[in-house]
Amino acid sequence: MIEVKNIQKSYDNIHAVKGISFTIKAGECYGLLGPNGAGKSTTINMLSTLFPPDSGEILINGLDVKESREEVKKILGVVPQEIALYSNFTAWENMLFWGGLHDIKTNDLHKKAEELLRLVGLSDRKDEKVKGYSGGMKRRINLACALLHSPKILLLDEPTVGVDPQSRNMIFELIEQLNKEGMTVIYTTHYMEEAERLCTRIGIIDSGVIVAQGTLDELKQQSEIKDVIVMECNQSPDETAIAAKLNLEVKVTDHTIYIQTANSKKDLTRCVIGCSEAGYEIQHIDIQKANLENVFLKMTGKQLRD
Amino acid sequence: MLTFLLPAILISVFSLAFAGAGNNDDDVQKIPLLVCDQDNSKITQQTINDIDSVKMIEVIPCSFDSAIDLIKRGKRSSVLILKKGFSDSVKELKHLPWELQYDAAHLQEMGVLQSLLSRTLYTTIGKIMSKNAIIKNIDAQLPSMDSTSRSMIIAKASAGSESDNSGDDNGMQSIMKLNTVSVISAKTGNLGLVQTVAGTAVMMLLFSLTGMGGGLLDEKEQGTLKRLLYSPVHPAQILLGKMAASILVASVQLTFMFAFSAAVFHLHIADKILPLGILIFATAFACSGFGILLATFAKSRQQLQGMSTLIILSMSVIGGSMVPTFIMPQWMQDISVVSINYWSIQGFYDILWRELPIAGTFLTKVGVLLAIGVTFTLIAFRLFRKNALALD
Repeated sequence: MIEVKNIQKSYDNIHAVKGISFTIKAGECYGLLGPNGAGKSTTINMLSTLFPPDSGEILINGLDVKESREEVKKILGVVPQEIALYSNFTAWENMLFWGGLHDIKTNDLHKKAEELLRLVGLSDRKDEKVKGYSGGMKRRINLACALLHSPKILLLDEPTVGVDPQSRNMIFELIEQLNKEGMTVIYTTHYMEEAERLCTRIGIIDSGVIVAQGTLDELKQQSEIKDVIVMECNQSPDETAIAAKLNLEVKVTDHTIYIQTANSKKDLTRCVIGCSEAGYEIQHIDIQKANLENVFLKMTGKQLRD
Repeated sequence: MLTFLLPAILISVFSLAFAGAGNNDDDVQKIPLLVCDQDNSKITQQTINDIDSVKMIEVIPCSFDSAIDLIKRGKRSSVLILKKGFSDSVKELKHLPWELQYDAAHLQEMGVLQSLLSRTLYTTIGKIMSKNAIIKNIDAQLPSMDSTSRSMIIAKASAGSESDNSGDDNGMQSIMKLNTVSVISAKTGNLGLVQTVAGTAVMMLLFSLTGMGGGLLDEKEQGTLKRLLYSPVHPAQILLGKMAASILVASVQLTFMFAFSAAVFHLHIADKILPLGILIFATAFACSGFGILLATFAKSRQQLQGMSTLIILSMSVIGGSMVPTFIMPQWMQDISVVSINYWSIQGFYDILWRELPIAGTFLTKVGVLLAIGVTFTLIAFRLFRKNALALD
């Protein structure tokens, strides 16, 4: 459905995107995960036809974004990073204004607006001016305005920045529901937990380049990051003996054993039994799951968030 | 920039306009004077040469119809008409048929001109007429005087009148009195009112429309401009929408200003609604184009405010919003044409002061304003795409 082929973009002597390629199938939820300044927003802006890439190609449902901008815009919904609403309008007025730009019949627009306000939980406050809303409420209306014309593809550029947990959860649930109903979603974020929760596939982007992409398991495999089972014992264990017994990579520091495993769920029980049989009393157990933060750190040498 | 540059510009312009600053002491600003010789005699030719030799006057020969047309269009301020029979009147000591027709907007200048002309002619034509008067008197009083005595008396009397350069003879003064006629009727206070209303209206309009154009920058800062660009709306449609709103507000604003002036200060506009409406629209269009253009140049509201204050005040001063252009030195009048204010104010002069017909010079000014609006709008379109889509 979406093919991005080696796109590049520079401005003001900054090479923001240095050759990015990815493909997204219809109905997929694809995440672009990276720190601030990685090129996520620039990529979204090119996908949304705001400006063309300096080189490369973007095809959306077979349409070139450079040549068929108007057709592409009809099937795209974009949730910008900024809260792009008129603060002196009410939520209802904003919905009607933004929806009105998409050539939707008035009755249909009204119905859709009411439905979306209900979905984002703001029906009872639709006649209040947006400037009186909390950040989370504004973000919900921001999202709702992008859905008025029932787009096939939804681009979201860090839609939960500065949002309270309740609103954040509501936004996630809505995205999950939309994706379940067949909407293709591209979601940019620098929060790995968001990408892990929402996205079927993730592209890790840093300094304008996609350093890795795939499902979470594929990324973990690519980066060779494993889960770590941590056990504190009553005495300092014999590293070599434990490693031989469990046939896993083991490291011991003071009284603590660190066991690397590809599947902590599967190996936890035998690790505990193995240590117990070796005569060590286990006083505390912890599992450090391999996550995107570790993957990102491994792949780029940087933290996902400063 | 505003703290230093703007005051410097304003001081410079006002000094040049009022104080003649920058002129050398030897520089004399000549008053152009159209001259229409309807008598075509040696005496009128001599008269014209004498006037031309005056340092402060620049004689421009012209036909009567052309002269009146130039004055009505505001291109020239006055014409001296030496009517048929001028030389005969000199010889026969009759009242001289000469007239100064002028634009009442230049009253001060006319005062100076009248004084110069009278003084010049008293010392030239006045001497001839005085001599003729003496001869006539002698011939009437002493017809039998011998020719030698006659010549001696005439020579002595002529020498006496030559040494008296003031020509201060009550009889001569009444015969040589210069008629003055205002070509454009000086309705008392009307020119000043037109200048005030037109000048202020255009300047205020430029400020308010620049503020409206700044709405584009507000949208960019809020993020709503981006959302507009994500939508099926074409960038040109966004800009045209802003322009249309600006033109509407500008037209209403100008209409209100003139209606207010008519109601409170009795500015006469009742029979000039059509040309006034045309000029109001053209002015609104030009000013809106200007406002939008500035907004596409600036990167922020603050930058827009600074830029607009400097440019608008400079344009307003040069273009005649604060000081009528006709009191400025010629070179300043020549550069005033770069200002929107100039074309608009001159257009309002044409309607409300000179009462010119719609066709001709008035339409030229409307055309220039429309061309300014179109040019600014086209440039704004190019800059809008570049700047609106510029990554922050």
